Amino acid sequence: MFYRSLISATALAGVLLAAFTAAHADDSKHPNLKGQWNTLSPRGSFDPDKPPGRGTLAPLTEEYKAVYEANVKDQLAGGHGTEPSYMCLPPGMPRAMIAYESMEVVVTPETTYILIDHIHDHRRIHTDGRPWPDDIEPSFRGHSIGKWIDEGNTGRFNVLEVETRGFKGPRAYDTSGLPLHSDNKTVVKERIYQDKADPNILYDEITTIDSALTRPWTVTRKYQRDPDPFPWWREVVCTENNQHVHIGNENYMIGADGLLMPAKKGQQPPDLRYFTQGEVTGATK
Amino acid sequence: MACRSLLATIALAGLFAADAAGAQDFLLKYPDIVGQWRRPPGIGIQWDQSKRVGPAQQAPLTPEYQARYEANLADQRAGGQGTDPLGKCIPPGMPRMMSVIFPMEIIIMPNTTYILTDYTDPRRIFTDGRAWPKEIEPTFNGHSIGKWIDEDGDGRYDVLEIETRGFKGPRTYEASGIELHDDGETVIKERISLDKTNKDTLVDEITTIDNALTRPWGVTKKYQRERNNVVWYFNHCAENNHHVWIGKDNYMVSGDGYLMPVKKNQAPPDLRYFQSSQK
Repeated sequence: MFYRSLISATALAGVLLAAFTAAHADDSKHPNLKGQWNTLSPRGSFDPDKPPGRGTLAPLTEEYKAVYEANVKDQLAGGHGTEPSYMCLPPGMPRAMIAYESMEVVVTPETTYILIDHIHDHRRIHTDGRPWPDDIEPSFRGHSIGKWIDEGNTGRFNVLEVETRGFKGPRAYDTSGLPLHSDNKTVVKERIYQDKADPNILYDEITTIDSALTRPWTVTRKYQRDPDPFPWWREVVCTENNQHVHIGNENYMIGADGLLMPAKKGQQPPDLRYFTQGEVTGATK
Repeated sequence: MACRSLLATIALAGLFAADAAGAQDFLLKYPDIVGQWRRPPGIGIQWDQSKRVGPAQQAPLTPEYQARYEANLADQRAGGQGTDPLGKCIPPGMPRMMSVIFPMEIIIMPNTTYILTDYTDPRRIFTDGRAWPKEIEPTFNGHSIGKWIDEDGDGRYDVLEIETRGFKGPRTYEASGIELHDDGETVIKERISLDKTNKDTLVDEITTIDNALTRPWGVTKKYQRERNNVVWYFNHCAENNHHVWIGKDNYMVSGDGYLMPVKKNQAPPDLRYFQSSQK
């Protein structure tokens, strides 16, 4: 009788343990990524270990080296080259993971959300085992499918592997204008994991496979968790104070006095052929 | 010895029971509002879903803001944007983002409920019992503090009550240009719940208290759950925006890439900073 009670109690404990584990699928199996993460890697260069621009030594094809050099020349002249974010276009992937603004990682059993309040940089990483769709509506951030891995059989997931496809452009890696290919057939593979010695450090190992590259290009970016339990989430709206104006293929600036001004030396003013009425002032007078 | 083992096992079972109960509590505590929510068929961009967009909304504006609204309508009739800031791709902010122009997702976590629309930055509603901060940096979305309520006492939360403060502008309720006050002192109270008779309908009762209004303005917005064709559209206003602001004047960029007026007899921009003459 006594031993039957002991066996029953042990069995009960086992059943309750199974129920507990299933119910707590999120918190017991997934890493604690709660809080605000801020980049520890420089924002100016996609590869944090190299200086921006030519110093990055991105493995570009000859064709895209020429595209990049033309972009540098245009930027030196006052233009933006192949860097699209001055028009407040979202950086998209993989550039979004520079994390220009603070990042939040929200883990649910079906989806891991990466929220970055920059220019609509938030991402959905589907971890529900879904297949790739037959057609993907192209977007700057792409379509992401991920899988949580328990590396080292620790009993707990510790790496999120992500693959992202289905892009549109233009996209660049960073402000230097390093371009991704205009065919938008980029595939981005990521491994997101915490530092084993310090759970307040997060890494994203990002491998970009792109037709503008001679080989896959891997960089690892680093983020740090803010210890503040109530961190401030800054709202940044690129369009709110954007002084750039794009007319046709030309970029101009708006001066502090609200007047249109050239962005490059000797730049022609916009063609005003559609204005048939009203006083024309300034250079076109 | 055997007795001590039995007691320890029973204690362990009790501990797991408590933990399992806690876990089940979380899973069963909140309403099932996961998934994609859209505007019901036939509902457009109007603020009060029961009325047509524009003056038919009968917003209880103060005389000052009624006059501003009418001037805005005259400007829109002439081809301008009036007071509607979305032509500049300024985010709608609160409360307008709850018109859910593009689909909405709600994520419930223990400390925060998130409202995502792929048209605006995420909205965080803090439900962790935090106090209002002494100072709030003004934003278009505002700072939201919420509380889950079990209104019918059935052991499961059914209403999310929210208060939102700390705004900047310009903000309007809808594209017709009904403005919120410039002072940013708006207070928005919401009650979000599932329709009691249709669990695929979500209801947001929104009351706006604002100095441009003569009284609190309450509207009830409904959303319909999409179960079969869940596609998340990525919509970015700046991608194909043909509106251009030069100083305080709005122009358009034509399909062939030239600057063009939006109003009859509109003067072209002042080009005094260009040294060379026009081609």
